[in-house]
Amino acid sequence: MAEFLINGFLIFLLAIIAVVAIRSIKIFSTVMLAGAYSLICAIIFVSLDAVDVAFTEAAVGAGLSTVLYIAAMRHLPKREKVVNDNTIFAFIVCFGVGCLLIWASFDLPVIGDPMAPIHQHVGPYYISNTKPDMGIPNLVTGVLASYRGYDTLGETVVIFTAGLGVLLLLGDGKNRDKNE
Amino acid sequence: MIHGILGIWNYWIVIILMMTGLFIVISRHNLVKKMVGLTIFQTSVFLFYISLGKVQGGTAPILTGYKDSLYSNPLPHVLILTAIVVGVATTALGLALILRIKSEYGTIEENEIAKLNTEENSK
Amino acid sequence: MIDLIAIENHLPALQVVIPLLLAPFAILVSLPFLSWLVALFGSLFCLYSSVSLFFHVSEFGKINYFMGGWLPPYGIEYVIDDASSFMIVLISLMGVFATIFAYQSLKKEINKKSQSKVYGMWLLALGGLLGLVTTGDAFNLFVFLEISSLSSVTLVALGSKNDKRALTAAFNYLLIGAVGATFYVIGVGLLYSVTGTLNIADLTIKISELTGNNSVKAGISFIIIGLMVKAAIFPLHIWLPSAYTFAPSAVAVLLTATATKAALYVLARILFTLLFNADDFTVIILQWVLLPASIVAIFFGTIRAIFEKDIKKLLAFSSLSQIGYITIGLTLGTASGIMASFIHIANHSMMKAALFMGIGAISIQLNKSINVDDLKGLSKSMPVTSISLTVVILSLLGIPLTIGFISKVYLLKAVFSHGNWPILFIIVLTSFLALGYAWQMIENIWMKQPGDTTLTIKDDPKIYIPLVVLAVFNIIFGIYAYPIVNSAFNASAAIFWKAL
Repeated sequence: MAEFLINGFLIFLLAIIAVVAIRSIKIFSTVMLAGAYSLICAIIFVSLDAVDVAFTEAAVGAGLSTVLYIAAMRHLPKREKVVNDNTIFAFIVCFGVGCLLIWASFDLPVIGDPMAPIHQHVGPYYISNTKPDMGIPNLVTGVLASYRGYDTLGETVVIFTAGLGVLLLLGDGKNRDKNE
Repeated sequence: MIHGILGIWNYWIVIILMMTGLFIVISRHNLVKKMVGLTIFQTSVFLFYISLGKVQGGTAPILTGYKDSLYSNPLPHVLILTAIVVGVATTALGLALILRIKSEYGTIEENEIAKLNTEENSK
Repeated sequence: MIDLIAIENHLPALQVVIPLLLAPFAILVSLPFLSWLVALFGSLFCLYSSVSLFFHVSEFGKINYFMGGWLPPYGIEYVIDDASSFMIVLISLMGVFATIFAYQSLKKEINKKSQSKVYGMWLLALGGLLGLVTTGDAFNLFVFLEISSLSSVTLVALGSKNDKRALTAAFNYLLIGAVGATFYVIGVGLLYSVTGTLNIADLTIKISELTGNNSVKAGISFIIIGLMVKAAIFPLHIWLPSAYTFAPSAVAVLLTATATKAALYVLARILFTLLFNADDFTVIILQWVLLPASIVAIFFGTIRAIFEKDIKKLLAFSSLSQIGYITIGLTLGTASGIMASFIHIANHSMMKAALFMGIGAISIQLNKSINVDDLKGLSKSMPVTSISLTVVILSLLGIPLTIGFISKVYLLKAVFSHGNWPILFIIVLTSFLALGYAWQMIENIWMKQPGDTTLTIKDDPKIYIPLVVLAVFNIIFGIYAYPIVNSAFNASAAIFWKAL
């Protein structure tokens, strides 16, 4: 029961943050809200047993990306000029996509159901074979570094690509502060 | 019916959060805010994946040594670890582009940029 | 002594990993020419490996390569079959042409300091696309989708040296691409939640047992929306025209020849392999989503191209309509329709890459973006470029003895045997409409007196060699179409499971 209440409270916070993020015209506070959103998600991840993900989300999602935003904000205007000419279109798109997802959710397995397909197929193999194959207790590490290690190679390449991209775009640094 | 809805209402909250992020991406004109919306959208998708991996009464997927422990599914966790990093990479590149746009156009409001672009086109 | 046979066995992985690993080298050598050599070596290696894989597959059948030796569905699998080997040959062949062209183009259009980094990015884009078409794992596909889109975004943004609009084009590409990729992830999540697997072959079996499941249908819809963004299918094409227009010429060549084509291929595979058993749902998507979208795309693209003066933008809109022809082939839902799409995927890559090269060659010399009027009297100042351009434009129109004609014939044949007369009429009508934009280019090149600017420029062999080779290909494969047609036939048989 306590877990349910805590999760309910956290989800409630997420909803508030998301709504305030739409309304806020101060970019800086929007950025901080996004950081808070990631952090609260990280806490929810812990309660959903995803400790490794919570770790990463707190460090990378809430930490690193907030730092990136703040570093960028130094050169950017602090306020948003509000124009609401897109709202209805955006609402229709989101409503349509949301309805499609809700329609899909009727056939999704109930959260936590141990009989759900994902806990019957593939998943159990990792749980029973990681220890004999790799000799480490952390299943997430085992899958990440070995069974699906190629994804992790791809992930590092993505980071390399983004880093190289930032270097190419801002590398010479000569025209960054032109308008300040 | 009631039971069915109770079983899946968690998904609905996640769906609403996703759509809030997407709404920000589409409706706002400020480029930084669009990126923030994208972050919220992606983080909510992560929440969806992680809630799939949960097993009732299970524990984190780190072997405890007890024979009959129940573990949550590690696979969604692995996927989301990758996706988080990819998301940050996108954010970084997007912010770099926004900085360049600011220095070239002097604004990061999409409608003002569009106006400047049309002037450029007619030149 | 390196064991060559061992390398042979690992080609399915190496053709993706080698360009990715060469990228840091291209940056570190830091001399533009050496970096270019590294990039050229990378793309030639891809071509070598993809061609040898292609022949291996057509002789011995499909290759399943297990990454790290972990069996699917637990590990990640690479699948090289007739269809994906067709695509990797196409992508790496066009990659080689684009790389050769890139040296002169990037020399003029990019700061000297950043050129080495650009070649690194170039290799990443190439490797990302090759991974995208060969992977047999739905989530791994997302990772490669992101590698290729982040690298192409950066490459597009590099056009900002000449025109600041490249930056907004790149940002839109990034944002729309990221939303599309997130849609793809949602779709994969929905499929995963009801099947428990990410391996595409395994998913296919599991999905065929789950007919009428909402999550499967919604998941597939999300995946298709995500891929439609990458493939620039109407109405999700909005990033494409400005991205192609403001990107450096070489980047436009690379993107038009490979990026959208890879996404189209993945879309075809999802539609016809993954959904082989979900009959009515596939039909709904094909008939009510993809068909109207492709018809609108054909008309919209052709008409915008007719009234467009900036040639790169004109070509971008023409690409939009040509993508429409490719998707129309898919919507027929028959083996011959898919075959026509594959033929046009290959042929359109060759035509558009050559066109962007030709226009790039002119714009490099004039040092500005090219209007239709700038082509006036080009035949006098740049005869070789003019002749090649004309051949390719005629090919785009579908004149006999060119590959464009082969595309049109097979597409019309497929539509004809399907008995869909309105579509037949639309294809014929829009082919004539395409004269509207193609003719004004030909007319300006051959029949107008040269302006002041065009007199100052001349042919440059260093730039036009890949263009001429591609123009020759346009004719050779227009006369001797067997290689493309035959491999497209095998490719369509490989992804069209219903035929089995």
